[in-house]
Amino acid sequence: MSGPLQSRPDGDDWVDDLLRADAREHRDGYLDDDGFTARVMAALPAPATLPAWRKPALAALWAGAGIGIALALPGTVVDVAHEILRVILGQRVSLASIGTGLLVVGASAWTAAALALRRND
Amino acid sequence: MAHPLTDAQLIARVVVHDDRNAFSELVRRHQSAVRTTLRRLTAGNHALADDLAQETFMLAYRNLKSFRQEARFSTWLYRIATNAFFADARKRKEELLGDRDGELAAEEDDAAGETAEAARADPTRGASLRIDMDRALAVLSDAERAAIVQCYHNDLSHEEAAVVLNCPIGTVKTHILRAKAKLKARLAGWEPQ
Repeated sequence: MSGPLQSRPDGDDWVDDLLRADAREHRDGYLDDDGFTARVMAALPAPATLPAWRKPALAALWAGAGIGIALALPGTVVDVAHEILRVILGQRVSLASIGTGLLVVGASAWTAAALALRRND
Repeated sequence: MAHPLTDAQLIARVVVHDDRNAFSELVRRHQSAVRTTLRRLTAGNHALADDLAQETFMLAYRNLKSFRQEARFSTWLYRIATNAFFADARKRKEELLGDRDGELAAEEDDAAGETAEAARADPTRGASLRIDMDRALAVLSDAERAAIVQCYHNDLSHEEAAVVLNCPIGTVKTHILRAKAKLKARLAGWEPQ
Protein backbone atom coordinates (compact mmCIF):
# COMPACT_ATOMS: atom_id res chain seq x y z
CA MET A 1 0.00 0.00 0.00
CA SER A 2 1.47 3.34 -0.92
CA GLY A 3 0.63 6.53 0.89
CA PRO A 4 1.44 10.17 0.29
CA LEU A 5 4.85 9.74 1.90
CA GLN A 6 6.07 7.48 -0.87
CA SER A 7 5.67 10.12 -3.55
CA ARG A 8 7.57 12.79 -1.65
CA PRO A 9 10.54 14.14 -3.57
CA ASP A 10 13.63 15.25 -1.66
CA GLY A 11 13.42 18.75 -0.28
CA ASP A 12 9.63 18.71 0.09
CA ASP A 13 9.67 17.44 3.67
CA TRP A 14 8.60 20.71 5.21
CA VAL A 15 5.60 20.99 2.84
CA ASP A 16 4.73 17.43 3.72
CA ASP A 17 5.02 18.21 7.44
CA LEU A 18 2.77 21.26 7.04
CA LEU A 19 0.20 19.20 5.16
CA ARG A 20 0.30 16.51 7.84
CA ALA A 21 -0.07 19.06 10.64
CA ASP A 22 -3.03 20.63 8.83
CA ALA A 23 -4.54 17.21 8.16
CA ARG A 24 -4.24 16.21 11.83
CA GLU A 25 -6.14 19.33 12.82
CA HIS A 26 -8.69 18.58 10.10
CA ARG A 27 -9.24 15.01 11.33
CA ASP A 28 -9.38 15.92 15.01
CA GLY A 29 -12.05 18.55 14.46
CA TYR A 30 -15.66 17.38 14.58
CA LEU A 31 -18.41 19.37 12.88
CA ASP A 32 -21.57 19.52 14.99
CA ASP A 33 -24.61 18.21 13.20
CA ASP A 34 -26.56 21.49 13.64
CA GLY A 35 -29.68 20.04 12.02
CA PHE A 36 -27.83 18.70 8.97
CA THR A 37 -29.10 15.13 9.41
CA ALA A 38 -32.67 16.39 9.84
CA ARG A 39 -32.39 18.38 6.59
CA VAL A 40 -31.11 15.31 4.70
CA MET A 41 -33.89 13.11 6.11
CA ALA A 42 -36.54 15.70 5.23
CA ALA A 43 -35.27 15.82 1.65
CA LEU A 44 -35.48 12.04 1.12
CA PRO A 45 -38.28 10.81 -1.11
CA ALA A 46 -41.41 9.66 0.75
CA PRO A 47 -41.32 5.95 1.64
CA ALA A 48 -42.99 3.79 -0.97
CA THR A 49 -46.19 2.54 0.68
CA LEU A 50 -48.67 0.26 -1.05
CA PRO A 51 -52.21 1.66 -1.26
CA ALA A 52 -54.59 0.17 1.34
CA TRP A 53 -56.88 -1.30 -1.28
CA ARG A 54 -54.10 -3.29 -2.97
CA LYS A 55 -54.20 -6.41 -0.74
CA PRO A 56 -58.00 -6.96 -0.76
CA ALA A 57 -58.04 -6.24 -4.50
CA LEU A 58 -55.34 -8.87 -5.12
CA ALA A 59 -57.16 -11.44 -2.94
CA ALA A 60 -60.42 -10.76 -4.82
CA LEU A 61 -58.64 -11.14 -8.16
CA TRP A 62 -57.13 -14.52 -7.20
CA ALA A 63 -60.45 -15.72 -5.80
CA GLY A 64 -62.20 -14.57 -8.99
CA ALA A 65 -59.63 -16.37 -11.12
CA GLY A 66 -60.10 -19.58 -9.08
CA ILE A 67 -63.90 -19.47 -9.34
CA GLY A 68 -63.62 -18.67 -13.06
CA ILE A 69 -61.43 -21.73 -13.67
CA ALA A 70 -63.77 -23.92 -11.60
CA LEU A 71 -66.78 -22.73 -13.62
CA ALA A 72 -65.03 -23.03 -16.98
CA LEU A 73 -63.62 -26.52 -16.34
CA PRO A 74 -65.99 -28.17 -13.83
CA GLY A 75 -65.02 -31.75 -14.72
CA THR A 76 -61.29 -31.14 -14.41
CA VAL A 77 -61.62 -29.41 -11.05
CA VAL A 78 -63.75 -32.26 -9.63
CA ASP A 79 -61.28 -34.84 -11.00
CA VAL A 80 -58.31 -33.04 -9.48
CA ALA A 81 -60.12 -32.73 -6.11
CA HIS A 82 -60.97 -36.46 -6.17
CA GLU A 83 -57.36 -37.38 -6.99
CA ILE A 84 -56.02 -35.23 -4.16
CA LEU A 85 -58.49 -36.77 -1.69
CA ARG A 86 -57.62 -40.27 -2.88
CA VAL A 87 -53.89 -39.67 -2.45
CA ILE A 88 -54.35 -38.17 1.01
CA LEU A 89 -56.73 -40.86 2.25
CA GLY A 90 -54.58 -43.59 0.74
CA GLN A 91 -51.65 -42.66 2.99
CA ARG A 92 -51.13 -44.65 6.14
CA VAL A 93 -50.80 -42.12 8.89
CA SER A 94 -49.22 -43.10 12.22
CA LEU A 95 -49.44 -41.21 15.50
CA ALA A 96 -45.71 -40.52 15.30
CA SER A 97 -45.98 -38.84 11.91
CA ILE A 98 -48.94 -36.73 13.14
CA GLY A 99 -46.81 -35.69 16.12
CA THR A 100 -43.84 -34.85 13.90
CA GLY A 101 -46.06 -32.82 11.59
CA LEU A 102 -47.50 -30.87 14.51
CA LEU A 103 -43.98 -30.26 15.85
CA VAL A 104 -42.76 -28.95 12.49
CA VAL A 105 -45.80 -26.68 12.08
CA GLY A 106 -45.39 -25.37 15.65
CA ALA A 107 -41.67 -24.68 15.19
CA SER A 108 -42.31 -22.88 11.89
CA ALA A 109 -45.04 -20.72 13.47
CA TRP A 110 -42.77 -19.93 16.44
CA THR A 111 -39.85 -18.91 14.15
CA ALA A 112 -42.10 -16.77 11.95
CA ALA A 113 -43.52 -14.98 15.01
CA ALA A 114 -40.04 -14.37 16.45
CA LEU A 115 -38.80 -12.94 13.12
CA ALA A 116 -41.86 -10.72 12.78
CA LEU A 117 -41.39 -9.36 16.32
CA ARG A 118 -37.69 -8.69 15.65
CA ARG A 119 -38.47 -6.74 12.50
CA ASN A 120 -40.95 -4.56 14.38
CA ASP A 121 -38.35 -3.56 17.02
CA MET B 1 -26.10 -1.74 26.95
CA ALA B 2 -26.58 -2.94 23.37
CA HIS B 3 -23.63 -2.61 20.99
CA PRO B 4 -24.15 0.07 18.35
CA LEU B 5 -24.85 -1.39 14.95
CA THR B 6 -22.01 -1.44 12.42
CA ASP B 7 -22.23 0.50 9.17
CA ALA B 8 -22.79 -2.78 7.32
CA GLN B 9 -25.74 -3.70 9.56
CA LEU B 10 -27.29 -0.25 9.17
CA ILE B 11 -26.85 -0.42 5.38
CA ALA B 12 -28.55 -3.84 5.31
CA ARG B 13 -31.51 -2.41 7.22
CA VAL B 14 -31.84 0.48 4.78
CA VAL B 15 -31.57 -1.75 1.72
CA VAL B 16 -33.91 -4.51 2.93
CA HIS B 17 -36.52 -2.61 4.95
CA ASP B 18 -36.01 1.00 3.79
CA ASP B 19 -35.29 1.73 7.48
CA ARG B 20 -35.12 5.54 7.73
CA ASN B 21 -33.80 5.47 11.30
CA ALA B 22 -30.86 3.36 10.16
CA PHE B 23 -30.08 5.79 7.34
CA SER B 24 -30.38 8.71 9.73
CA GLU B 25 -27.77 7.06 11.96
CA LEU B 26 -25.44 6.62 8.97
CA VAL B 27 -25.79 10.30 8.09
CA ARG B 28 -25.17 11.33 11.70
CA ARG B 29 -22.01 9.18 11.84
CA HIS B 30 -20.46 10.41 8.60
CA GLN B 31 -21.74 13.97 8.22
CA SER B 32 -18.72 15.57 9.88
CA ALA B 33 -16.15 13.81 7.68
CA VAL B 34 -18.09 14.41 4.47
CA ARG B 35 -18.84 18.07 5.22
CA THR B 36 -15.25 18.76 6.30
CA THR B 37 -13.91 17.12 3.13
CA LEU B 38 -16.23 19.21 0.99
CA ARG B 39 -15.29 22.38 2.85
CA ARG B 40 -11.69 21.65 1.89
CA LEU B 41 -12.58 20.82 -1.71
CA THR B 42 -14.64 23.99 -2.08
CA ALA B 43 -11.80 26.05 -0.57
CA GLY B 44 -13.81 27.02 2.49
CA ASN B 45 -17.21 27.73 0.90
CA HIS B 46 -19.28 26.32 3.78
CA ALA B 47 -22.72 26.90 2.24
CA LEU B 48 -21.76 25.19 -1.01
CA ALA B 49 -20.02 22.40 0.92
CA ASP B 50 -23.19 21.69 2.94
CA ASP B 51 -25.35 21.72 -0.20
CA LEU B 52 -22.99 19.22 -1.83
CA ALA B 53 -22.91 17.14 1.36
CA GLN B 54 -26.70 16.95 1.32
CA GLU B 55 -26.58 15.93 -2.35
CA THR B 56 -23.95 13.32 -1.45
CA PHE B 57 -26.19 11.65 1.13
CA MET B 58 -29.22 11.79 -1.18
CA LEU B 59 -27.20 10.03 -3.90
CA ALA B 60 -25.87 7.55 -1.34
CA TYR B 61 -29.44 6.73 -0.27
CA ARG B 62 -30.56 6.22 -3.86
CA ASN B 63 -27.56 4.05 -4.76
CA LEU B 64 -27.07 2.17 -1.51
CA LYS B 65 -28.08 -1.10 -3.19
CA SER B 66 -25.06 -0.81 -5.48
CA PHE B 67 -22.62 -0.45 -2.54
CA ARG B 68 -20.66 -3.73 -2.62
CA GLN B 69 -18.83 -3.37 0.72
CA GLU B 70 -15.50 -3.86 -1.09
CA ALA B 71 -14.37 -0.51 0.25
CA ARG B 72 -15.18 1.25 3.51
CA PHE B 73 -18.50 3.07 3.52
CA SER B 74 -16.66 6.33 4.24
CA THR B 75 -14.47 5.84 1.14
CA TRP B 76 -17.59 5.25 -0.94
CA LEU B 77 -19.09 8.46 0.46
CA TYR B 78 -15.89 10.40 -0.33
CA ARG B 79 -16.16 9.18 -3.90
CA ILE B 80 -19.74 10.38 -4.23
CA ALA B 81 -18.84 13.69 -2.57
CA THR B 82 -15.85 14.21 -4.86
CA ASN B 83 -17.95 13.43 -7.95
CA ALA B 84 -20.61 15.87 -6.76
CA PHE B 85 -17.91 18.50 -6.24
CA PHE B 86 -16.42 17.96 -9.72
CA ALA B 87 -19.85 18.07 -11.36
CA ASP B 88 -20.68 21.30 -9.57
CA ALA B 89 -17.26 22.80 -10.35
CA ARG B 90 -17.72 22.06 -14.05
CA LYS B 91 -21.09 23.84 -13.92
CA ARG B 92 -19.64 26.86 -12.17
CA LYS B 93 -16.24 26.84 -13.80
CA GLU B 94 -16.40 30.21 -15.54
CA GLU B 95 -17.96 32.26 -12.77
CA LEU B 96 -16.54 30.49 -9.71
CA LEU B 97 -13.04 29.33 -10.57
CA GLY B 98 -12.10 32.23 -12.85
CA ASP B 99 -13.11 34.94 -10.39
CA ARG B 100 -12.02 33.11 -7.29
CA ASP B 101 -8.59 32.19 -8.59
CA GLY B 102 -7.95 35.79 -9.51
CA GLU B 103 -9.17 37.14 -6.20
CA LEU B 104 -7.36 34.58 -4.15
CA ALA B 105 -4.13 34.93 -6.07
CA ALA B 106 -4.18 38.71 -5.54
CA GLU B 107 -5.05 38.29 -1.84
CA GLU B 108 -2.35 35.71 -1.49
CA ASP B 109 0.32 37.87 -3.08
CA ASP B 110 -0.52 40.71 -0.72
CA ALA B 111 -0.81 38.73 2.47
CA ALA B 112 1.25 35.56 2.20
CA GLY B 113 4.62 37.00 3.06
CA GLU B 114 3.66 38.95 6.14
CA THR B 115 1.24 36.31 7.51
CA ALA B 116 3.81 33.55 7.22
CA GLU B 117 6.56 35.65 8.77
CA ALA B 118 4.31 36.57 11.68
CA ALA B 119 3.11 32.99 12.06
CA ARG B 120 6.56 31.64 12.80
CA ALA B 121 6.82 33.58 16.03
CA ASP B 122 3.10 33.41 16.81
CA PRO B 123 1.80 31.14 19.59
CA THR B 124 -1.39 30.63 17.54
CA ARG B 125 0.70 29.04 14.81
CA GLY B 126 -1.90 26.32 14.18
CA ALA B 127 -4.64 28.82 13.35
CA SER B 128 -2.30 30.78 11.08
CA LEU B 129 -1.26 27.61 9.29
CA ARG B 130 -4.89 26.76 8.66
CA ILE B 131 -5.57 30.17 7.15
CA ASP B 132 -2.46 30.05 4.98
CA MET B 133 -3.14 26.46 3.98
CA ASP B 134 -6.73 27.33 3.02
CA ARG B 135 -5.47 30.11 0.78
CA ALA B 136 -2.73 27.96 -0.70
CA LEU B 137 -5.11 25.05 -1.38
CA ALA B 138 -7.53 27.42 -3.07
CA VAL B 139 -5.07 28.16 -5.88
CA LEU B 140 -4.61 24.48 -6.74
CA SER B 141 -6.61 22.97 -9.57
CA ASP B 142 -9.71 21.00 -8.50
CA ALA B 143 -7.99 17.70 -9.28
CA GLU B 144 -4.80 18.62 -7.38
CA ARG B 145 -6.78 19.82 -4.37
CA ALA B 146 -8.92 16.68 -4.42
CA ALA B 147 -5.80 14.47 -4.46
CA ILE B 148 -4.26 16.35 -1.51
CA VAL B 149 -7.53 16.25 0.47
CA GLN B 150 -8.01 12.51 -0.08
CA CYS B 151 -4.40 11.49 0.60
CA TYR B 152 -3.62 13.82 3.50
CA HIS B 153 -6.83 15.02 5.10
CA ASN B 154 -8.79 11.79 4.65
CA ASP B 155 -5.64 9.70 5.10
CA LEU B 156 -6.33 7.45 2.10
CA SER B 157 -3.62 5.46 0.35
CA HIS B 158 -2.84 6.26 -3.28
CA GLU B 159 -4.86 3.21 -4.32
CA GLU B 160 -7.90 4.30 -2.34
CA ALA B 161 -7.55 7.88 -3.59
CA ALA B 162 -7.41 6.59 -7.16
CA VAL B 163 -10.71 4.79 -6.58
CA VAL B 164 -12.30 7.86 -5.01
CA LEU B 165 -11.02 10.16 -7.77
CA ASN B 166 -11.78 7.63 -10.48
CA CYS B 167 -8.35 7.90 -12.10
CA PRO B 168 -5.13 5.83 -12.34
CA ILE B 169 -2.74 5.76 -9.36
CA GLY B 170 -0.07 7.46 -11.50
CA THR B 171 -2.39 10.41 -12.04
CA VAL B 172 -2.96 10.72 -8.29
CA LYS B 173 0.79 10.80 -7.71
CA THR B 174 1.26 13.41 -10.43
CA HIS B 175 -1.48 15.61 -8.95
CA ILE B 176 0.15 15.37 -5.53
CA LEU B 177 3.61 16.24 -6.84
CA ARG B 178 2.29 19.23 -8.78
CA ALA B 179 0.16 20.35 -5.85
CA LYS B 180 3.12 20.17 -3.48
CA ALA B 181 5.30 22.16 -5.88
CA LYS B 182 2.63 24.90 -5.96
CA LEU B 183 2.18 24.75 -2.19
CA LYS B 184 5.92 25.05 -1.72
CA ALA B 185 5.89 28.34 -3.62
CA ARG B 186 2.74 29.60 -1.87
CA LEU B 187 3.86 28.63 1.63
CA ALA B 188 7.48 29.72 1.20
CA GLY B 189 7.22 31.77 4.38
CA TRP B 190 6.73 28.59 6.38
CA GLU B 191 9.95 26.98 5.17
CA PRO B 192 12.25 26.35 8.13
CA GLN B 193 15.36 28.57 8.02
